[in-house]
Amino acid sequence: MKWYEFFLDGNFLALLGAALAVIVAGLGSARGVAMVGQAAAGVVTEDPERFGQTLLLQALPGTQGIYGLLTAFVILTKIGLVGGSPVELDTVQGLLFLGASLPVAIVGYFSAIGQAKTAVSGVGIVAKRPGELAKAITFAAMVETYAVLALLGSILMIFGIRV
Amino acid sequence: MAIVKMDNISLIGLEADKEEIIKELMKLGVLDITSLEGMAEDEEWSEHLSRDGCEEEVFRLDSQIQKIKSAIEYLSQYDTRKKVLFAPKKAVDISKYREISESQENLWNLVDKIERYDQLIAQLKSELNKCKNTVATLMPWKDLDIPLDLTSTKTTAVVLGTIPSTEDIHELEKSFEEQVPESYFHVIGTDSIQAYVLVIYHNSVEEDALRLLKNHGFSAMQFKDMKGTAKENIDLMQRRIEDIEKETEAIQKEIVAMAGSLDDLEILYDYLTIERDRKKILSRLVKTGRIFMLEGWLPEADGPKVAEHIARKWDCVIELRKPEEGEQFPILLRNNSLVQPFEPITEMYSLPNSNEPDPTPFLSPFFFVFFGLMVGDAAYGILMMIATGLVLLKFKPEGFLNKILKMLFLGGFSTFIWGALFGGWFGDLVTAISNGKYSIPPLWFNPLEDPMKLLIWSFIFGAIHLYTGMAIQAYKLIREGKVWDAIFDIGFWYVFLTGLALLLAGGVAGTIGKYMATAGAVLLVLTQGRSQKNIIKKLFSGILSLYNAVSFMSDVLSYSRLLALGLATGVIASVINAIAVLFGFNIVGILILIITVTIGTVFNVAINALGAYVHGSRLQYVEFFSKFYEGGGKPYQPFKIETKYTKLNDRRTV
Repeated sequence: MKWYEFFLDGNFLALLGAALAVIVAGLGSARGVAMVGQAAAGVVTEDPERFGQTLLLQALPGTQGIYGLLTAFVILTKIGLVGGSPVELDTVQGLLFLGASLPVAIVGYFSAIGQAKTAVSGVGIVAKRPGELAKAITFAAMVETYAVLALLGSILMIFGIRV
Repeated sequence: MAIVKMDNISLIGLEADKEEIIKELMKLGVLDITSLEGMAEDEEWSEHLSRDGCEEEVFRLDSQIQKIKSAIEYLSQYDTRKKVLFAPKKAVDISKYREISESQENLWNLVDKIERYDQLIAQLKSELNKCKNTVATLMPWKDLDIPLDLTSTKTTAVVLGTIPSTEDIHELEKSFEEQVPESYFHVIGTDSIQAYVLVIYHNSVEEDALRLLKNHGFSAMQFKDMKGTAKENIDLMQRRIEDIEKETEAIQKEIVAMAGSLDDLEILYDYLTIERDRKKILSRLVKTGRIFMLEGWLPEADGPKVAEHIARKWDCVIELRKPEEGEQFPILLRNNSLVQPFEPITEMYSLPNSNEPDPTPFLSPFFFVFFGLMVGDAAYGILMMIATGLVLLKFKPEGFLNKILKMLFLGGFSTFIWGALFGGWFGDLVTAISNGKYSIPPLWFNPLEDPMKLLIWSFIFGAIHLYTGMAIQAYKLIREGKVWDAIFDIGFWYVFLTGLALLLAGGVAGTIGKYMATAGAVLLVLTQGRSQKNIIKKLFSGILSLYNAVSFMSDVLSYSRLLALGLATGVIASVINAIAVLFGFNIVGILILIITVTIGTVFNVAINALGAYVHGSRLQYVEFFSKFYEGGGKPYQPFKIETKYTKLNDRRTV
């Protein structure tokens, strides 16, 4: 097998898709959670009792990374790398998996950061009006919708691929 | 209905009785006193009456409370007694309150003492740091046996200083021997950064010596205010450090001994808070020289009882009335015990105004179903019920926390039902352990195997949710007498949308749907433009209104999150299980299995319960409430005894 043929291997492409879902969405979540964490730490310096509330906000942009892992896992199950016997995929099938992983990877990355920005502002709400946590969470959850939709898109696509 | 109806009460009484009446009202704790500030500023009234209040007293009490608060916080650091999570407030008799308030003097001495000790400890701490620094700077000179304050003799100069380690110290020593023979150069010690040297030279060669030193980066050290050798000084400092440590310890012991008074301080804190609240409320009253007036709202059931109770005890004029049509009154929700746990969801958005129904009874069954569907694992549901149930039984939390925990308990029950329907018991743990031999069959179907089926069901649940919201809007319209609006704006939409849904289903239903959708569309086009005057505009806005079907569709699509989050739990659980069984079934393997499943389960339940709560609420706020809800009600905040640490035992009600 020549080296470039390796890149046309179906199993490699499917794994690349799974890896992208974990990496890209995970990077977004990591950045997002860090952003909210920094803002939250500022508030907690002033008022340690805000810890629980701000932690809740910090957790919100973390879900995209989980969605990425979830998608990867569904791909791995589908191609038999987890629980079952590995299937041989042709190039087209591999590309289908790669394509199906893109929604959760790309939308996951940007929605995590968008959600983090909203949550950072939400930390500001909690700092001044602790009673309004639910509203801060709701604003951030609005952004999450698109990550959920992307996850749904990816999973439905993966379920639909015939192997 | 679930909003408690309120009565308005206005009371005019004698200034002399004011304090007692306010005290009694506070004890009753049911009256939400309205501010009469506006009345005092009204031209018609302002010559006769003025605003009540005693800001100075409030200010004085506030600063006292602040002082006690910091004392309590300071003492709690040293409180050795065991702390309990969700500790209930201590019950205290009213006589104890009186006793404490009468012997305030002692407690104030204590507070002052704590403040002094606090300052003293801070002082000692900074001195300790200073001593430690001095010791650190003296340490390299330890072996120098001439006094530090000796800088010259009759004919020589004595210099102490450092040479950076980049310089060759031996070469320098040699240069001194050669170039300035009338000198003594001695290296006391070296470390990684610099060498510590003593130089003695005759006054006549000062210039040469200084030049040589300067060329080698010498910097002089001066020990001001120090007598004796370095070693003596170090010993002195170390003795002082020991003293300081002993002193600090002694003070801390005294503080720990005072921690016993923490209870009393807490009672005093609460006592002063009550006192402060009682003074603060006065600013909402108006008065003339002799009489005062207050106004407020209280639950209908309590109205006549409170009025009678006050009128019997004091000479005063009391007027009780029902709210006028459309008049806003403070909102208190009262629901049965199954609906009550869901009140926080409404409260966190906005309370209903007094002209609309409480949405909580309507949203609670949906929240219940959606929450369970999104977590969807029978074993997790049981765990959630056990955890929240134990906290509820053991600690009996009150208020908000109580409701949230009950909500999670009910959510756990729903999770259990959905888990059983979907066949999720710790995900696919049984299948994973038995390596595929056994599995717990789902009572309905497994969404991981047939996600499309659950997706369609999610849309159906969503449509029911949205229809319910529209029905409430219709109810509101009918109650306002706008029956035609209800038929045009809600009824015709039902026809049109149901028709569209049936059309999608196909078959015989599809044919019926086709006619329904067409009829609905025509009716909507005819009626939706009715507010326009021009006939062409009427038609145009009628046609344009059909576009709303798109927004209805997008609302329904939003419920696909039910499927996505429901799948997430199952998939994460199977990741955990796959890792857990990796190490086989020997002793180590089983141990790893138990640990992995335990940690994984805690993580999975936490992240999914949070997700289910957040998205469950969002479906209520964005999709459901937008169909009918106005909100904007002012919460009912009765004037009552509000304490932080203690609970008053004697609380007679009417």
